[in-house]
Amino acid sequence: MLLLKLIQSLVKTLHSEGTPGQVAAGLALGSILGLTPLLSLHNAVVVGLIVLLNVSIPGAMLGWALFTPIGFLLDPLFDAIGRALLLGALALRPLWTALYNLPVVPLTSFNNTVVLGSLVVSLALCVPVFYGARLGVTRYRATVAERVRRSALYRAMTASKLYGLYRLFRPE
Amino acid sequence: MRLFRWKAIVPLLLLGALVAGLWILFADRMAKGTTESVGTTLVGAKVEIDRMHLDVAHSRVEVRGLTVASPFEPLENLLQADLLVADLEPLPLLEKKLVIDRLAATGLRFGTPRQSDGRTVGQSDGVMGQVERWGQQLQVPALQLATGKISLDRLDPAQLNTPRLATALAAQADSSRTAWVSGLDALGTQAAVDSSARMVERLKGAKLTDVKLLGDARRTLEQVKRTEERLTALERSVTSGMATLQASAAGLAEARQRDYALARGLLKLPGLDAPDIGAALFGRAAVQRFQRALYWAQLARRYMPPGLLPRATPGPRRVRRAGTTVHFPRSNEPPAFLLKSADLSLSVASRGYSARLTGVTSDPALYGRPAEARGTAPGFRLAALLDHVRATPRDTAAASLADVALPSLRLPALGARLEPGAGVVGFRFVMQGDQVQARWTVTSDRVRWVRDSAGGRSSIGDVVWRAISGISTLEVSARLAGDLDHPELAVGSNLDRAIADRLRAMAGTELAAAERRVRAQVDSLTDGPMSAARSKVAALGGEVTGRLGGQRAQLDQARRALEQRLPGLRLP
Repeated sequence: MLLLKLIQSLVKTLHSEGTPGQVAAGLALGSILGLTPLLSLHNAVVVGLIVLLNVSIPGAMLGWALFTPIGFLLDPLFDAIGRALLLGALALRPLWTALYNLPVVPLTSFNNTVVLGSLVVSLALCVPVFYGARLGVTRYRATVAERVRRSALYRAMTASKLYGLYRLFRPE
Repeated sequence: MRLFRWKAIVPLLLLGALVAGLWILFADRMAKGTTESVGTTLVGAKVEIDRMHLDVAHSRVEVRGLTVASPFEPLENLLQADLLVADLEPLPLLEKKLVIDRLAATGLRFGTPRQSDGRTVGQSDGVMGQVERWGQQLQVPALQLATGKISLDRLDPAQLNTPRLATALAAQADSSRTAWVSGLDALGTQAAVDSSARMVERLKGAKLTDVKLLGDARRTLEQVKRTEERLTALERSVTSGMATLQASAAGLAEARQRDYALARGLLKLPGLDAPDIGAALFGRAAVQRFQRALYWAQLARRYMPPGLLPRATPGPRRVRRAGTTVHFPRSNEPPAFLLKSADLSLSVASRGYSARLTGVTSDPALYGRPAEARGTAPGFRLAALLDHVRATPRDTAAASLADVALPSLRLPALGARLEPGAGVVGFRFVMQGDQVQARWTVTSDRVRWVRDSAGGRSSIGDVVWRAISGISTLEVSARLAGDLDHPELAVGSNLDRAIADRLRAMAGTELAAAERRVRAQVDSLTDGPMSAARSKVAALGGEVTGRLGGQRAQLDQARRALEQRLPGLRLP
């Protein structure tokens, strides 16, 4: 069922009215949601950006869905990166100390190794994810998109209620 | 294409309002869950709360029905509190810091029973595991008079050190022999001797002008000399190795003495000196109390460390990996946790007392003052100070409680229970750095003895029972002092002399016989390996020394023969 939803989301995203750039931007922002622990304050900012900026919301949902399992898999790596940054890099210690003693910033849990490590990796991946996704969507639409659009499966998917909800927030 | 999706602002605001509404609805529940989870992690036993209310407008938290399970006893609570009201400072909350201005706790009760095991930390884990291992190293003599039989359990050879040492010594002798014999063979003594003999033959009738022959003779003599030097080096190695082996062989006797002492423990009788009896009677109870004090002191050191270095703690529990949360304290900033003052209203043995707690903080160096606990009332005195402000932490605690019904003390060794009645109990604990000093005292003049109905009876047990059951006063004093890793435990009581005298009179002969049986068992298990090891060492000494001497004589003879044929030859 989850896989079906994912495929449905993927197909709808690829065929949405948004430009490849909008889909790719949504996917990049969604990847941050997926790679970092969800209940973190910075993800409230990311959700706000996804909703406010004119990016593809299905793209963001797809990015979140795709990168969540990757986030789980890479947690040991995030932990190690966060540990190296928080405890290993002495030059960064004054920065962490200053941030830790600022209002609100500690509420982001930046001083947790997994949160910091995953946030740094997801921000670093944002740019390649954006360009990669934009290239992929452009190629897809130029080659096989039309054939998929004419298929019975696609028509079944777009008839669902979720599609109606999506249309409310489709990129302009 | 526009950059912003303006029509999403309203849904976003609605979402924000929904989140805020949910938070207002569930904040109490979430705070309760978090507090229980954090408290459970800190204490190492379940922390349960009946109800918790966050009064955001007044920066106040109310906790009703707090129960903290004991991390030591399965069906006992450490404390229960009817109501806790904490006034918080709001601004530090924005920095994820909890500063409690004042806490009022009412209805505190200690040691209440509970229905289920509240311990969450395995006995081998973390601080509890360390403290358990620490307690086990404190030797408490065994005493078993309940049955009165001086029985000797079967000795397990694996418990004894001597056979193991003897086997190791025999193996060491074998490997030394192999090494030395190889060394002797590698010297090439026979080759040098043969070469020397041939040269002596060649020199017979040789002319002094035969320079080549003289050069060959010089080289042969040098070869013999070098062989002699290597032999000398090997001799030194053998001498030192043999000395080590012989010392180890001599050490077997000491090991056997230690094994006698170990096996004596199987008799479950201490020595008949009064201090041993005191330690056997009350040692375990004293160690248990010292362990508990040490547990809290170690937890305090873990969660209230000195200094301002970044501190790593386990991250929050979640579906994703918890990771590690690092705290970065900074001077002139509030600590991550600070309880400025707490007024406690507590009840001990059905009497009401009050106490005050100040300066409990996660960053003592930031707060700059030690944490203190103080309580005084008629018959009650409590003072504790956790000074982690300086680099070397110093934790002290002293408490005394008078004229209260003391809990009964089971003495399985005597097959009896002691009901101390109303008395005075005192406890003092000081830990500075790694040095520890502690004292536990119990005094009562209305002691009642109750003999356990279960268990066997014996003539020795009966005699000791008659001796102690007439004693109506009790004075127990246990002291612990020294390095935390190896402290000395001394326990004494007014019962020691009475029991020791009775035991000596009644069981002296039987004890001596039992000791002889113990020694015989140890001898039977150690004699064989000891003799084998000793004879191997002795034989090795004779064999290698003999071969060394033989080779030395051969080389001496060869060198002399050569030197006689070349009287004018002087080697450097």
